[in-house]
Amino acid sequence: MIQKMISKDAISNLIKELQKEVKVFGPVKEEGGVLFKEIKDAKEICLDYSNSKIPPKNVLFPMIDILFSYEKEGKGVKIIENPPYEKTVILGIRPCDSMGFSLFKNFFSFGKYKDPNVLNRLKNITLIGMGCLEPRTSCFCTSVNGGPFNKESVDILITEFKDDYYLESSTDKGEALIKKIKSLTEADKGDLAKIEKLQKDIESAIPVIEGLDSIHTKLDGLFDHPMWKMESQGCLGCGTCTYLCPTCHCFDVLDENKQDGSGRRIRIWDTCQFPLFTLETSGHNPRTTKLPRVRQRIYHKFNYYPKNYNIIGCVGCGRCIINCPVNSDIRNIFTSVENISSKTEV
Amino acid sequence: MQLESLYIPVLTTIKSIVRENEVNDIKTFEYVFNNEEDYKKFDYIAGQFAELSVFGVGECPLGIASSPTEIGSIKFTVKKAGEVTTALHNLEVGDIVGIRGPLGNGWPVEEMKGKNIVIIGGGFAFSTLRSLTIFMLHEDNRKNYGEITVIYGNRESGEVLYRDVLGEWEKRDDINVVLTIDREQEGWTRKVGFVAPIVKEVSPSPENAVAIVCGPPIMIKTTIDVLKELKFSDEQILLSLEMRMKCGIGKCGRCNVGNKFVCLDGPVFSQAELNKLPKEY
Repeated sequence: MIQKMISKDAISNLIKELQKEVKVFGPVKEEGGVLFKEIKDAKEICLDYSNSKIPPKNVLFPMIDILFSYEKEGKGVKIIENPPYEKTVILGIRPCDSMGFSLFKNFFSFGKYKDPNVLNRLKNITLIGMGCLEPRTSCFCTSVNGGPFNKESVDILITEFKDDYYLESSTDKGEALIKKIKSLTEADKGDLAKIEKLQKDIESAIPVIEGLDSIHTKLDGLFDHPMWKMESQGCLGCGTCTYLCPTCHCFDVLDENKQDGSGRRIRIWDTCQFPLFTLETSGHNPRTTKLPRVRQRIYHKFNYYPKNYNIIGCVGCGRCIINCPVNSDIRNIFTSVENISSKTEV
Repeated sequence: MQLESLYIPVLTTIKSIVRENEVNDIKTFEYVFNNEEDYKKFDYIAGQFAELSVFGVGECPLGIASSPTEIGSIKFTVKKAGEVTTALHNLEVGDIVGIRGPLGNGWPVEEMKGKNIVIIGGGFAFSTLRSLTIFMLHEDNRKNYGEITVIYGNRESGEVLYRDVLGEWEKRDDINVVLTIDREQEGWTRKVGFVAPIVKEVSPSPENAVAIVCGPPIMIKTTIDVLKELKFSDEQILLSLEMRMKCGIGKCGRCNVGNKFVCLDGPVFSQAELNKLPKEY
């Protein structure tokens, strides 16, 4: 592990150095919040933010992703594959969102079929994470195997300390990158101890939700429980929770055509919260009402994911809690599950 | 399938189109791969499906109707029902269609060896059952299976698919074919009645047997009730599920039943496996 410092003022130098070789994506202030976009002018970056509304999963898994293009020649069809992906650095990603990237890597490479688009992009992406000095009241990353300074899913982690940024590498890729950057200075040993204490204090201050590591077994017996009526009653089915979730990756596939018969097959973000998601051509729909759809989201993340991949499909970023228009709070569902299970045990 | 072509279909050309029913909304298409290499890689077993592309319209999942023993081309039976199937029906011989596959788990033809096979189909769900039956009847394979019984029901005689192969099977003495339609019809000399009561009448023995059931939901339900009465266990009853699908490879997230994806872990499931999953299909 390499540990270096850079003053906050010098961060644009770091970005300019990176831009010589790679594309840089980072948080940019927009009206209404912060979005992860490609940084053209180094001054655009805004590292003083809580978290972006839309997670940076858009860099790895774009809202509109071209699967292939095609041209028609008479009765014939010519298929055109995608050009290779460019090397990219995402600077300023929060550890919860980078954990989301790990979950994406796990899912899209799991089993027999490996998704070429996501995996090729991941190979070309370096993650420079930004630890959280002020976790929000909606954050619960520490309850789902994460943390505000969790280095597991990033290549380099930045911790803000006084007027500087402290950088620690976490992977070989991160180490190699740090070695290349000229604008870094050595870290002071005294400061390192203070930074470590700061990180531990902030992490332990986040309230922990008990029981999430065993929630999947508790959910096994609750599929037909009346609790889901209550939990789904207020839901509008707007899909905000899934679109803003760093771990949601369901998609739809469409063909788009031009007048001349050429076109492309694209995949776009989709949500299990919409009725059309499972609607079959015959008219049959396994999830006709909100109840099974609300239930599906919870089961997918907290029961099917653990069963299939041994991990929880949630990173505790809290976006679904903050942005739900009817204030539906997923933590209330955890509490309900916990209460019902402990009653039945007794 | 190779990594790079996971979402990219290979090109095939329509060799023949056969009209299967009187109202002409079910056709069987025969496809030849444009590239011989692609055909060699399309190594399938009965019960699997593929995603068929009409470029510019979309894709749809279809069970493979041909048996792997029918060399040179592959067949799919398509009912005109939605956008892509309508576009497929408007195509002609010589048109190009994209194919991604073979997908899914298929019928467990290895585990079924040495057993008596009862095939029960209803309506146009008979595609993969055609594939399975032709496979088992092939001279290389017939000795691997015990008694084979096929019970196939339709609403009316004009709806019966694959009349040519059914006719051949009826002539053989190593397979028992029972065809039925829902109501009496002029010219129909075979059985009359819904599939479930005909199954009861045929009364196949559960001894060392596997029952395969494919058809509309109500037919499946009533048939399974009869099979249970006849003492078939849940492990002995196999079904092929259908769900809305897009990617066909377990990545788009929409075809799950519990923690299983119908396109990846299925579409073939035993009743015993389905009992462990939520009833969301």
